[in-house]
Amino acid sequence: MTVALAVPDVLVARAQAGDEEALGALYRAFETPVYNLVRRMLRNAEDAEDVLQETFLEVVRSIRQYRGDGHLWGWIRRIAATKALMRIRRDQIRAADSLDEDPPGRPATHVAANLDLERAFEHLSATSRSVVWLHDVEGYTHEEIAELMGKSVSFSKSQLARAHARLRRVLGAGGQA
Amino acid sequence: MMHCTMDDLLALRAGEASVWARGHVETCATCRAELDALYQRVAQLKALPVLRPPRDRWPVVRDAVRAGRARRRRTWGAWSLAAAAALAALLLLRPSGNGLHAELTQAKQQSATLEDQLQRYDLRGRVLTGRAAALMAELEDRIAVIDGDLTRRGRGTTDAPARDAELVKLWQQRVDLMRELVNVRVTRARYVGL
Repeated sequence: MTVALAVPDVLVARAQAGDEEALGALYRAFETPVYNLVRRMLRNAEDAEDVLQETFLEVVRSIRQYRGDGHLWGWIRRIAATKALMRIRRDQIRAADSLDEDPPGRPATHVAANLDLERAFEHLSATSRSVVWLHDVEGYTHEEIAELMGKSVSFSKSQLARAHARLRRVLGAGGQA
Repeated sequence: MMHCTMDDLLALRAGEASVWARGHVETCATCRAELDALYQRVAQLKALPVLRPPRDRWPVVRDAVRAGRARRRRTWGAWSLAAAAALAALLLLRPSGNGLHAELTQAKQQSATLEDQLQRYDLRGRVLTGRAAALMAELEDRIAVIDGDLTRRGRGTTDAPARDAELVKLWQQRVDLMRELVNVRVTRARYVGL
């Protein structure tokens, strides 16, 4: 999702002073891009809603630390991505979720060859979808993803390759690549 | 015949592919088709519909903001009372240096009065200009720095008059900043009209 939200400096300054109306306006401006990002990263819609809320609680707490260097969306997006990745790690620990497995109850053999991309994307692990979304859609570099995830650059690259190979398989593209 | 792996295709897309992969994709129709499919997949991902939150979470966030603000006010108020009590005790225990202590008491009282004024003036339902909001944020930051200094010096074990003089100076600075803050809040905020 490309976000070209230009937030007036005056609104940010008011939010930094604790103006509730300005904070509300920031929420309205960014709730959809934040939700879209975390929903694409996470498998569960309720988790995505929780992360949306956690993200804005953090934004409200830390808005004074935003010094205007860089787009506000970039700053908020980083908070959201970090929160979503924390949620993924927590869930992986709880469920001992392997990185590239199908979600429980959705064995690969049941996947029809003509699933559209959206549904195919749903079949990726949370880690893989996060890497794909952050890299291919949000434009993060492998270095940035590695830093966010606390992993190596090669981890990010291999996750992306595995995810695309899987998408290609699920979508039934054929070929030998 | 050996074909490009997904790593090779992604490297080609990123412009980081090996000489072999770059050469191979020029001559192999299968790999060229795979590369095209990769480009298409990424384009389709970017074109996926935007997902919108099913419920409004702002009320929860807003309530948390209000609760945090109320907590800070209580803490600030409690801290002011504690500081005033400590000061009164200090004055009782130290009959000497009355001039300095009187100045300290006066600054403390002025600060407490301004604090009350500030707390009575609720910003909800009012709007600020960006300049005023930025000024308020700066003043609050400077007051917080002075409060930190006061706390540190208050903990000091030395009993030298120099420390008291520093405390008086800090409290007076605090009073000046509080006065400015009250002024900004009262004069530069206006009702939204709701």
